[in-house]
Order: sequence, then C-alpha cells, then structure tokens
Amino acid sequence: MKNQLKVLRAERDWTQAQLADALDVSRQTINAIETGKFDPSLPLAFRAARLFGLRIEEIFHDEDRRSLATEIKKDTYV
Amino acid sequence: MNQLRPPENGYQSRIRTNVIRLFYWNGAWGAATALMALGPKFLWNKALVFTLLAVGLDVAVGVGMILVNKRYIAELDELQRKVQLNSMGITLGVALIAGVPLSVMDAYHVIPFHADVAYLLILMSLTFAVSNLYGTRRYR
Repeated sequence: MKNQLKVLRAERDWTQAQLADALDVSRQTINAIETGKFDPSLPLAFRAARLFGLRIEEIFHDEDRRSLATEIKKDTYV
Repeated sequence: MNQLRPPENGYQSRIRTNVIRLFYWNGAWGAATALMALGPKFLWNKALVFTLLAVGLDVAVGVGMILVNKRYIAELDELQRKVQLNSMGITLGVALIAGVPLSVMDAYHVIPFHADVAYLLILMSLTFAVSNLYGTRRYR
C-alpha cells in the first residue's frame, strides 16, 4: 500500500516525531509507514485522515489500483 | 506552518513510564527468585515455613511482573506490538524445539551435563533479544 503521509507531513512542516505524537504512535512507526515497510491498521488510518482533514483514500492507495485500472482499460479495448 | 500541539501524556512518555515500571518489577522478581533459591541454605537453615513464604513471595511478584508486562505490551503501538509478537513467537518455537531434544538427550545421557532449566531460560532470553533487535532494525 502506498501513501502520501510524507508529502502531507512535509507540506505542513511537521517532523516525524510531531506526527507520531499527534497520532499517538512511535516515530519508528511513522517512518515505517512512510517508507512502505508497514501498513497501518484501519483505526490508525482514520486518525491520520482526521488529523490531515482528508479522506483515507486520499492518503492511502492500494498499490494494485493502477495496474487493475490498466487491466480493465485493456480489456475494454480488446 | 500548521503547528501541532504535543499531547499531555504522549506515547513516548507512557512507554517510558511502563519500561521503568517493568524494569523495577523484573528486578523485584529476580531478587525474590534469588531469595527463594538461596534463602533456605544461607538465611533460614531450610526452615519449611520460611521456604514456603519465599516461594509464595516469588510467585506473587512473578504474577505482578506478568501483569505489568501485559500492560506494557497493550500500550505499545501496533508496529511495536507486531515486533514483540514476532519475537515472542520465535522465542516460544526455539524453546520448544531446543527444550524437548535437550531433555531427551539428558534422559539418555547423550550430553555430559544435567539439562538445567537455566540453560533454556538463557537460550530464550538470547533468542528474544536477537529477534527483537532484528524486528526493530527491520522497520527502522
């Protein structure tokens, strides 16, 4: 799963430690999510969405979404 | 810049408190175990009442330590809890696959020493420490 956490954090000039405090997790967890090593649970994703004032799908993306869309498009034209 | 206000009792502060509490309870359990193991011989000349009291104290402090550890794990965030769970799983597996053969080898005198439970505890501690370190570094 890909996410926009790093971009959104940078836009607000927040450090990983500040974001970790706000989401009540460790800085290591924020880093692991940003680098794609760890996928957050739904409650944590909701907390992040609330904090940034966005919808979950605006922050977190299914990595297969684009490839799936491409497949569908290909099938449509065949 | 959109400022974030740090929470009153944040994650790091709670975990620090829990780690300190766990450290003291581990120390207390170690002391109670030493008293139970060495007391009968060096302190009260194998008097049964004192030995039973020492065993009771050791079990009571041990239960306290388990509860504090349980609370520590419950308050970890989801990634840290995952690392702990993986480490505990590996430790349990290693204890089983090493403990049973060690016991069998001791029973059939394959090994030249007595398979003391302390060896298993040392192996479990080392396994947990290594797997925890690996898990922590993996998600760094």
